[in-house]
Amino acid sequence: MIVVGLLIATGALVHLIINRPVGAYLRWALLAYTAMLIVFAIGGIVQMVGTDQDFARAEFVGYLLTTALFPIGAWWWSRNDSSRAGSGVVLVVALVTSVLIVRIQQVWAGV
Amino acid sequence: MSNTPTVNQGFGRVLVAIYAIFAVAAVARSLIQILTRFDEAPVAYVLSAVAAVIYVVATVALARGDKTSRRVATGAIAIEMAGVVVVGIISLLIPDAFPRASVWSTFGSGYLFIPLVLPIVGLWWLRYTRPVH
Repeated sequence: MIVVGLLIATGALVHLIINRPVGAYLRWALLAYTAMLIVFAIGGIVQMVGTDQDFARAEFVGYLLTTALFPIGAWWWSRNDSSRAGSGVVLVVALVTSVLIVRIQQVWAGV
Repeated sequence: MSNTPTVNQGFGRVLVAIYAIFAVAAVARSLIQILTRFDEAPVAYVLSAVAAVIYVVATVALARGDKTSRRVATGAIAIEMAGVVVVGIISLLIPDAFPRASVWSTFGSGYLFIPLVLPIVGLWWLRYTRPVH
């Protein structure tokens, strides 16, 4: 999951450097990433319900749902922003999403 | 002809996106804190909610970018700057004042100091893009 986020970030960075808006394939990647995060969220919640482990459950669900919002937001943004800045936005969002996944793992571990 | 972008063009759009991320994150975090354990640290959690509102206002104002919005954005970001500095100092001097971390505690060190850097960048960008009269 984190690797996918970093790959999308790398793609966006390349677009930013060569002064281009993100293309169709990166937008598809954002949609696929959103789908993965939705599955991840459902899986996470199912696992949470099935365990007695003590951790911050409200935060866990909050992070799972919020994280899934980010790549779809970046997808929407890149559709409407044909400037180079759209690539910058995708880059930032992909990096933030990767950090959030690390945070979700920390919350699950009770950190 | 000036090549200076308006507040919501170029880098300004990335800035809007970063503010939007902070707005979404701060609102989500604040809702969870207030709904699930408000009594643990009411001051810190009210502060989180205030920070969330400021991020939302700054996001919308930066995105709109007209004359009034520029003023609103400047005000919101100035409050954000003051908030992160004051809360940062208080959280260092009197740690008991904020038993639970807020986004602005210790100058936003829990968030790579982005909460401290963001208002500086925001104010610089507003100044850089100010219309020439």
